[in-house]
Amino acid sequence: MRQPRGLEEKTSAFRQKTYRRDRRARWVITIAGYGIIASIVLIFVYLVLESLPLSFGASVKRMFGWGLPNTERVFLTGVDSYQEVVYFLTADGKIRFFRLQDQREIRQDSIPLQPDESILAASKGSLNREWFAVGTDAGRVFTARIRFVPHYSDTGRVILPEFELDDTFSIAADTVHPHVERLVFRQNEDDARFWLWENHDGQLVLRHYDPDFEETYTVPIPAEWGEQKVTALTMSYSGDQIAVGVSGGDVYWFRYSDGEVVLQDRFSASHQPISALAYLIGDNALVVGDTDGQVTVWFPVRSHSQIFKMQPIHRFRAHPAAVEQIYPSPRNRNFLTIDTRGNAHLNYSTTSRTQLEFQPARDRIQAAAIAPKANGIVVIDAQHRIGHFWLDNPHPEITLKTLFGKVWYEGYPKPAFVWQSTGGSDAFEPKFSLVPLIFGTFKGTLYAMFFSVPLALLAAIYVSQFAPHWLSRIVKPTVEIMAALPSVVIGFLGGLYFAPLFEKHLTAILIFLIALPLVFMIFILGWRQVPEHHRLRIPIGWELWFTVPVTFLAIALSLTLAPHVEQWFFGGDLKQWIYTALGMTYDTRNSIVVGFALGFAVIPIIFTVAEDALSNVPESLTSASLALGASRWQTVRRVVLPAAAGGIFAAVMLGFGRAVGETMIVLMATGNTPIIDLSPFNGFRTMSACIAVEIPEAPVGGTLYRVLFLTALLLFSFTFIINTLSSVVGERLRKKYARF
Amino acid sequence: MEHELIMGETMVEVKKTENDVQLQFESPKTDFDSILEGEHIVIETIDLNFYYSPESHALKNINIKIPEKKVTAFIGPSGCGKSTLLRTFNRMNDLIPGAYLTGKVIIEGQDIYRDNIRLEELRKKVGMVFQKSNPFPMSIWENVAFGPKVNGITDKTLLDEIVESALKQADLWKEVKDRLHQSALDLSGGQQQRLCIARTLANKPDIILMDEPASALDPISTGKIEETIEELKQNYTIVIVTHNMQQAARISDYTAFMMLGELIEFDKTKVIFTNPKVKLTEDYITGRFG
Repeated sequence: MRQPRGLEEKTSAFRQKTYRRDRRARWVITIAGYGIIASIVLIFVYLVLESLPLSFGASVKRMFGWGLPNTERVFLTGVDSYQEVVYFLTADGKIRFFRLQDQREIRQDSIPLQPDESILAASKGSLNREWFAVGTDAGRVFTARIRFVPHYSDTGRVILPEFELDDTFSIAADTVHPHVERLVFRQNEDDARFWLWENHDGQLVLRHYDPDFEETYTVPIPAEWGEQKVTALTMSYSGDQIAVGVSGGDVYWFRYSDGEVVLQDRFSASHQPISALAYLIGDNALVVGDTDGQVTVWFPVRSHSQIFKMQPIHRFRAHPAAVEQIYPSPRNRNFLTIDTRGNAHLNYSTTSRTQLEFQPARDRIQAAAIAPKANGIVVIDAQHRIGHFWLDNPHPEITLKTLFGKVWYEGYPKPAFVWQSTGGSDAFEPKFSLVPLIFGTFKGTLYAMFFSVPLALLAAIYVSQFAPHWLSRIVKPTVEIMAALPSVVIGFLGGLYFAPLFEKHLTAILIFLIALPLVFMIFILGWRQVPEHHRLRIPIGWELWFTVPVTFLAIALSLTLAPHVEQWFFGGDLKQWIYTALGMTYDTRNSIVVGFALGFAVIPIIFTVAEDALSNVPESLTSASLALGASRWQTVRRVVLPAAAGGIFAAVMLGFGRAVGETMIVLMATGNTPIIDLSPFNGFRTMSACIAVEIPEAPVGGTLYRVLFLTALLLFSFTFIINTLSSVVGERLRKKYARF
Repeated sequence: MEHELIMGETMVEVKKTENDVQLQFESPKTDFDSILEGEHIVIETIDLNFYYSPESHALKNINIKIPEKKVTAFIGPSGCGKSTLLRTFNRMNDLIPGAYLTGKVIIEGQDIYRDNIRLEELRKKVGMVFQKSNPFPMSIWENVAFGPKVNGITDKTLLDEIVESALKQADLWKEVKDRLHQSALDLSGGQQQRLCIARTLANKPDIILMDEPASALDPISTGKIEETIEELKQNYTIVIVTHNMQQAARISDYTAFMMLGELIEFDKTKVIFTNPKVKLTEDYITGRFG
């Protein structure tokens, strides 16, 4: 009695242990499974979170507002890059500095004016330095600079402003009222200085000063100008262009070089008087505002006759009143337009977008300034009320249109898809069109598929259906080992060994593409002449050995013919011929080379999956087909291929997905030029290679950084969709044939 | 002595000595001439040996003759080689990697293992029905028309006629005539097997090999298949492998009993089941082993 009970206890203890283990295994597997799904979702969420700020618009936040008592008219204002100290230049020549934090006046300087002399006009000399010049009603021009010097002490950073009067000159005082109106002052990167103003006779005078050069010019006024009044005046920051707006709505565009002011173009920007003009950073784009409140951006475009003509490129939301002031951002293509009723618009030139529309003050605005880092705005209105705003506008250049549409960039003859993320100068405008990258990705993938799909599928068919057993046992693992080859090795070989080789034997390779099928056809025709009873002696699967000498024959033929063919048909140099006859340039690392290298990486995937699918076709089906008198090939074509269609589709899509995401090969074997061009002799840049190349240089949180994350998101979505498609369609096709 | 060895579908000439073949059982020499008197012989094997691999000797010195337009049944315990023998008649064994054979199989006066035979024509002439029904994942019509199509018939009306007559011969026409273009996989198991028979008939073969055609079917379907075979034997030579001795007794004219790769006894079915000459045969058919 006791023994069986003991046995029972033992068994039940054993059972419980088994159950426990089962439960534990189930938990581990479940957690692992959900963990994988969760990590994919997390990657997706992370990519979305990193790229989402690109879609956030601009916003302003009012920080302070206070009144400035006992002040004359304010001509200029400015703020330091930390937005701690603000200054105002008033008509009596005073420069008053205030600390924004507590609105205390911390310094006051003044320009030494005569007792009854007052300022008529003032102008800042550049976008990133606080040089300025003022013109007075006594015909004097003062040039000065303000510096904000940070001092570090135990209590932290203190910004101490400094003022320095630099230069004074008087215009020829041969009249009673030597006015200096509409003064425009420029001090360029080489510290050449330019003063441009309208004098009492309505003439436009330009004074150019270098340490070793000084000259004064009068801007030549063309006949069609007539009696029109100058209503707006500006000059480029390098001092080489002058734009004059007149009451009839025309803008005259002059170029100053080699001691000469020459009219370049005249364009009718409006039917109303031009009320404001300003150059944007880069000195290319000219913002034009009229008394109707219209705001347009113009820039020179090379016409058919190779002459630069100003063209209206971007149009912005109109103001309800005349545009009075235009303040370009010192950082990007943003600019602030202010009308006579105190409305401010923040526009971004390249996107033609008015990002913000706000009323910084309750009255007409006397002066405004954009902070040096383009993250703040200071205004002062007619009642001397000061407003200080934080501006949050991290990615003004990104819209769906700039990412995916054609954009007309400055200096381009027409709208285009351009990816050019970094440039030499501060004035460079990053161009973030994803279209060339998407195009490059699919170009590379397609070339790889052209090469790999036929090869891999035919190999899979041969190995699974025709090859003798011993051969397939060698071939299959060999091809699978190809998949283990690091892609950096393939890329290295492709870019540094194969590409020059390909270039050297280009003609021979192109001939080979024709010679191989030709030689095979001739061989097969010859083979058919052999009596049938001899032909049938060749066992199925051994035809492979015939292909070896035939292929070598084709190679030898191509190599022998190549120099002659190149001589006869292509004038001795195929590459030159491609350039002159087809208009294509030949890059050493071109699409064909990448097609081979990338295809080489993709072949094992397609081959393995397709071979499995073909081998898994039930033998009962092939037997049935063969027993009905079908040949091997008929069996493959009519029975095996349809039954394996799902797996073959999945194989091709998996290969496609791999090629889309592949990085190292395309990075090393292409020139990484982001161009849209179907030519097989050109390179391209794929999304993956672009991320790899540029992410190390992208400042964290910057536009490039986020655009690269968006690219990654796009790439992830592509591969996700392709892989999902491959399994869904593959599964559906498989189901159709699954009922045996 | 020189023999031709068949490996897969490949042939290599190899020398092989006669005394490789050793027989386990003493069986009396079958007098085919008297048993098959008056019959026309369609298939004949001469010293047929079959090897799945050099170690696996599946058929040992088989000499058998199969008469025209009669049903010949192969019976024997599992693994006795009856299916292997059947498959040598249309060279389906060629598909097995590493397998080879010695000896001769002569069908209608031709050695089908000579090296310049057209397998497609052989298999068109010698049709086969498999143990497990294996319709293609296509429509019923496509299944039946498959054989004629791969053998070069493209005319649609002709194909329609062939399909109809084949389905009628297989006794399936009434059941499927309204859904010829639906998937063959929707048919029941018995219907699928009759479809496979129809598919074989569509090729207008001379010989039909049946490898346990009813073993996976219920008794009613089995009965239908057997009726079909009864009708078919007027026009076709049928060789059938079966596990079911009653089936052999019911439908066959001649029966061959095999064991461990050897042909033990061949005779008229009546004789085998009533008065077998070999003790082993008697033991098997009376159920002493199996």
